[in-house]
Amino acid sequence: MIPVRCFTCGKVVSTAWDEFKERKAAGEDPKEILDSLGLERYCCRRMLLSHKEIIDEQYPYQ
Amino acid sequence: MEIVFGRLDERVAQFTLSSSSVAFANSLRRAMMGEVPTLAIEDIRIYDNTSVLFDEMLAHRIGMIPLKTDLSRFVRKEDCTCEGAGCPHCQVTFTITIEGPTTVFSGDMISDDPMTGPVEANIPIVKLWEDQKLVLEAVAVLNIGTEHAKWQPTIACGYKEYPVIEITDQCDGCGMCVDECPRNVLEVKGQTVRVVDGKLEACSLCRLCEKACIGTGIGEESAIKIDTDETKFLFVVEGDGSLSAQQIVEEGLRYIRSRSDTLVEALQEISTEGL
Ligand code: SF4
Ligand code: SF4
Ligand SMILES: [Zn+2]
Ligand SMILES: [Zn+2]
Repeated sequence: MIPVRCFTCGKVVSTAWDEFKERKAAGEDPKEILDSLGLERYCCRRMLLSHKEIIDEQYPYQ
Repeated sequence: MEIVFGRLDERVAQFTLSSSSVAFANSLRRAMMGEVPTLAIEDIRIYDNTSVLFDEMLAHRIGMIPLKTDLSRFVRKEDCTCEGAGCPHCQVTFTITIEGPTTVFSGDMISDDPMTGPVEANIPIVKLWEDQKLVLEAVAVLNIGTEHAKWQPTIACGYKEYPVIEITDQCDGCGMCVDECPRNVLEVKGQTVRVVDGKLEACSLCRLCEKACIGTGIGEESAIKIDTDETKFLFVVEGDGSLSAQQIVEEGLRYIRSRSDTLVEALQEISTEGL
């Protein structure tokens, strides 16, 4: 799961994940998506850029 | 001492603090981050968790959710008349009862106090598949940021000294500093450079312009000098939504006042003791 907040500044970033994922899959430039989501600091931007969702892979082993 | 707001929204405040000192500016910053209380979830009782996340992980995620806080209605548990037992003046209980397949969001937390709830309802907590279940009870209490960062009302909160840019007669308007400035603070006007109107506060004090100027072979001294006013500060306070930005600033100032009053009282006590 995407971390609830940015590790560095504490801004809630998890609410932006679904939209970010969808728009990125549709081929939009991540820079523009992040700008339009209002994530201006680079600490918050890397939270989404570097996130890998692995919860779906964990499911069979539960 | 004077505070002038440049911007004041629900979440963000920008202001200049003038006729002050570094010591005061920093204590204000620290007071706003570490001493202004908010509500956050502290204790969690898990009745059933068959999700893919461990109990601890789940508890941590729930603890990070910012909660809307009405400071006039709550006191800290140790100061409460219930003496730590827990009552509607010092704690709020949330319950989550949900079965998969679904994603659990912060909006699924049911509060026993209709005025208190998560700031945002769409924070994902965990994803559940068929046969997975989550039943828990979470208790939010009032506390401060020095205890744990989840009680911190601010996210980005900081200040810088007010920039003072001086351009001497040595300047020939070559424009090297203008190209170097990352914040586009400078422009060439005729035979000299000047600060773009309204851009002074954007200066990051990086001094790249000074380096560029010396790089032109102007001599030992740069024609542009970046200095700071040590009595004037530019603040940015961004809240997480639990309190409004204005409340954070007010509560921070109130904290400093009450602390200094306590100090004055203590000093008076000591000084009269010996007489
Ligand atoms: S100190 Fe940096 S930001 Fe300020 S004017 Fe010079 S180059 Fe621009
Ligand atoms: S680099 Fe120096 S001389 Fe050239 S415009 Fe800037 S301040 Fe003037
Ligand atoms: Zn951040
Ligand atoms: Zn109580």
